[in-house]
Amino acid sequence: MLQISNANGGYKRVTIIRDCSLRVSKGEIVALLGRNGAGKSTLMKYTMGLVDTFGGSVSIDGNTLPQSTSKRVKMGLGYVPQGRYVFPRLSVPENIAVAALACGHNRHESIDDAFEDFPILAEKKEALAGTLSGGQQQILSIARALATKPQVLLLDEPTEGVQPSIIEEIGEKLKRLNEERGLSILIAEQNLDFCLSIAKRAYILNNGSISHETTRDELIENKTILHELLGV
Amino acid sequence: MGNSSGSISSLLRNFRLRSSDPSIFIALLFAISLALSSFWIDPYLAYVGTSWIIFGLLGLSLDLVWGRGGLLSLGQTSFYGIGGYVGSIAAINFAPLTGNSLIWALPFGAISGAILATLVGWFIFYGRMGSLQSTILTYTFTLIVWTITLSFTTEIGEAVVGGDNGMSNIPGFVLGFDQNASSLSPNMMFLTVIVISAIIYLIVAFIVRSPFGMVIDSIRLDAVKAELLGLDIRLFQTLMFMLAGAIAGIAGGLFGAWANYLNPSIFSVQEALLVPIYVLVGGLGTLIGPFVGALTVGGLSFWLGGGVIGGQTTLVMGACLIVLVIFLRKGIVGGIQTVFARIFDGSEVRDQRSQQTSQVRVNLDLLEKLQASAKIQRDATLKTVDTSKRFGGVLAVDSVSQVFEPGKVRCIIGPNGAGKSSYLKTCTGAYAPDSGMVLYSGQDITKINPFERVKLGLGIKMQTAQVFDELSVKQNLWIAGYGNGLNKERADQVSDEMLDVLNMREISTRLASTLSHGEQQWLDIGMVLCLAPSVILLDEPAAGMSKEEKRQLSELVRLMAKTATVVVVDHDMDFVRTLDAEVTVLHQGAVFAQAEIDELRKDERILDIYLGRRESVTNF
Amino acid sequence: MELDFLATLLLSSLSSAAILLIATVGLAVMFGLMGVINLAHGEFIMFGAYATLFATQIGVPYPLAIVFATIVTAIFGGIVELLIIRRLYGRIFDTLLATWGLSLVLYQSAVLIFGTVTPGIGLPISNVQIGDYSISVYLLFLILVAAVLIGSLYWLLTKTSYGITARAAIQDRETASAVGVESARINTMTFALGSGLAGFAGAILLPAIPATPNMGFAFVIKAFLAVVAAGPVTLTGTVAVGSTLGMVGNITASFWTSVVGDIVFFLLTITILRIFPLGISGRWRLKL
Repeated sequence: MLQISNANGGYKRVTIIRDCSLRVSKGEIVALLGRNGAGKSTLMKYTMGLVDTFGGSVSIDGNTLPQSTSKRVKMGLGYVPQGRYVFPRLSVPENIAVAALACGHNRHESIDDAFEDFPILAEKKEALAGTLSGGQQQILSIARALATKPQVLLLDEPTEGVQPSIIEEIGEKLKRLNEERGLSILIAEQNLDFCLSIAKRAYILNNGSISHETTRDELIENKTILHELLGV
Repeated sequence: MGNSSGSISSLLRNFRLRSSDPSIFIALLFAISLALSSFWIDPYLAYVGTSWIIFGLLGLSLDLVWGRGGLLSLGQTSFYGIGGYVGSIAAINFAPLTGNSLIWALPFGAISGAILATLVGWFIFYGRMGSLQSTILTYTFTLIVWTITLSFTTEIGEAVVGGDNGMSNIPGFVLGFDQNASSLSPNMMFLTVIVISAIIYLIVAFIVRSPFGMVIDSIRLDAVKAELLGLDIRLFQTLMFMLAGAIAGIAGGLFGAWANYLNPSIFSVQEALLVPIYVLVGGLGTLIGPFVGALTVGGLSFWLGGGVIGGQTTLVMGACLIVLVIFLRKGIVGGIQTVFARIFDGSEVRDQRSQQTSQVRVNLDLLEKLQASAKIQRDATLKTVDTSKRFGGVLAVDSVSQVFEPGKVRCIIGPNGAGKSSYLKTCTGAYAPDSGMVLYSGQDITKINPFERVKLGLGIKMQTAQVFDELSVKQNLWIAGYGNGLNKERADQVSDEMLDVLNMREISTRLASTLSHGEQQWLDIGMVLCLAPSVILLDEPAAGMSKEEKRQLSELVRLMAKTATVVVVDHDMDFVRTLDAEVTVLHQGAVFAQAEIDELRKDERILDIYLGRRESVTNF
Repeated sequence: MELDFLATLLLSSLSSAAILLIATVGLAVMFGLMGVINLAHGEFIMFGAYATLFATQIGVPYPLAIVFATIVTAIFGGIVELLIIRRLYGRIFDTLLATWGLSLVLYQSAVLIFGTVTPGIGLPISNVQIGDYSISVYLLFLILVAAVLIGSLYWLLTKTSYGITARAAIQDRETASAVGVESARINTMTFALGSGLAGFAGAILLPAIPATPNMGFAFVIKAFLAVVAAGPVTLTGTVAVGSTLGMVGNITASFWTSVVGDIVFFLLTITILRIFPLGISGRWRLKL
């Protein structure tokens, strides 16, 4: 499904990620772990074509993706950026409509779908996105990414600054999307338990390179290594 | 060959960085050859050429504001025009008494231009207006002055300002001091204007290299950082604008004397449009560029078209400006400099961002000695009372109350998004809290500007390394030493000492942009230390540092805490552990726990926040 | 002061506010939806006026000529975006300078082609009587036009797919691209829309303001100031600032001269910016 090969990327002349390769199979949930500054966000942005590419490629089902971010989205990559960048002066349904329209889907159907998936958004349908709480913005950001009807969903730190009850809700929702619709998911996270609760496989990023590939069971058994790796 | 050519190129490079370039000499050569040409060129050419030099002077005023100060002002012609009118009115009335006309036209032009520019600058800079807003404001200012002058009529002594009809009988260039002194010949007029322009250029070039110029450069490169070094950037920018207004005013006075007649077209959009063209053709920020640009544009329209005021000039100039901004980025002088740089420096210089991780070794003993002799308020405290900050629907800081005192390092930790940086920014003044207070040693500083906080004794290092890219290592430190107190000797001394503390003497002439990330972090820390702060706020200082560097940083922080109040914001637990600090844990904007690090390590809840384990977090 | 005088003053103030709004919305749309200040805005208005004049001279009825002028100016704007603005992506001051150059090119071309005087449109102007005073019906009609124009813009930007996407793109370009928005295409449309609105202004105002090469000059000072003072919620902000300042400017101008009106407008704007550095709408929570 999603394949990142030998990714080298960063900003201007500064290389931040080096030779990162990873794979997400159809219907799989994969976690990308690592401490702050390890390059998780950069690798996610690299995948979306949002940072400078110095080498490597990203492909879906064997088709190499073009550099343009918007084209990548249309070819099946959904993206939930770190820091829940909703469009603050767009209403909740408009946020979803933007994504649907850009990818050529019917906006009213998409909004209805999103409200069905996330009832909490339906309660807020008159509100401007900027006035939502952190957790609500995160949910909106996920709903918006889903409105592009992705094959692979990339989530960058979806639990950051989000209250625990909503973290749980997000986890459940992602699991259900995965099971019911076969959505493949790649999550960059620091929140270990959240990852362990939904992902079966994980990559560990250290200093811009992938240092380990591991499974959930291994992680649960061997927490000391993990603490060392994540620096907690 | 590598060796010798390498050393020559490094010699040249050092020369360029230190005396900041040989362009003054080239400019003087240029001026002298122009001056010499005044003895043989055709009088008509000399007459027309005089106006080009005057336009170059006008361009210089924009280059100072735009290329150095970073503000694209479309209002320079209004200062120029006012300077022309006021200077000419003075000359009309007083020149008959003295003979010499310039001693009236130029000072009056300069002063009126400066006053007007100060007024406009005060509104823009003290209002902290956005750059686009400022540009539009200067543009509308030009338009308004133009419309006013179109209908404005008055009589001041002998001078008759006739609205659209303009003002005539302006005395020409008279240098002699007796009542029968006659106007200069075109060639002598050309020479006089060259000499005056060269003097003004030299003064500007001198100012640009002075502490004032360094401050202006640093504000252009990073205004936020400049303010965090205690510089009242509004004041410096307004002064810079005033200086540029004075230069434009002088150019106006010269123009009045050259034309013997002024009308409102001097304020017109067509006139105003030429100024950025001169600057762009010649090269932005080069100071000599505007003259080169004005001569080029003037020369081209003289030899190719029908003189300066040819029928279709407006059309051609408009098209020129479009083409210039799209294709020509550096102008003639900038282009020549690039070529020279490529020949002498080798093109690798800028790409040299050291791949080798040169380890920084800090000289702590020296720092301790310096610290002991520094004038630091030993008992300065920082206190926040119920400080809150909200962004839209997100409560980033939730009534945090803390007291920070010297003696022991204080840490603020918490997972990403816990509000650490936002909290710190309410302390630095970058954010105004929605409620609550910030106190420095008991003084309420909730509402004062960041630079005023720095002047009181705050030293702030932001999350990313903030250094002035286009300045050398030494210059970066120098600005930091200068910002606190505006004392040149102190800046020389402090920056010199700090080079030793940071062990950066060998790379002191390198541009900050060529340093590695780690080196930039250290340089930034060094800049904060140059302020000799009593309260030090460090936002993730260890980010991007190696293990060894972190160890040194930890020592440095603990050393500083002996004499100053030190607050470190970080989420690197390894690093925090080494600081032997009292730790405050922030979670979702509020204080979650506060204790010694070892105590906290036993606290399961803290680990839960970090690992996102569910039970205790939800119970919180 | 008499009641009829006050009523007339109010109506004439409203109509001059309406004229200002009609002339300004195009600029506000470009600034609000793509962050570009178009210094050639006044000349785009002039472009629309001459296009209307041209159409009526070849026999097209005036209402159709307005449509024609709007479309032609919009197409012209789209071409300008493709040829110039697009190359200066993210360089707002270079964009500003380029549009400045364009304004002079357009102005001088108009001088060359049409000269400085042109025949009026010759629309019958009728007046209504209010007590001892009278006011042109056409000016009252412009109040209605401004209201309809603002209303339809609001509809366009909140209900249509272009409007929603364009607003998203200006609020956060990177995120917009990460949900599939191609901002280049949106920008061309926005620039064309802004230009079309300028062309419409030139056309609809033609009976009140005859076509001359420098006709745009009458509006640009107030238009630029209104947009700059408006702040981040550009459209609503511009309507608020523009109509308030337009009325105040008209009242001062009716006692003194129009130059005084401009000066008062300028002083009010810098005062607003002194109090609200981000513009008047800095803290508003509105869509546009």
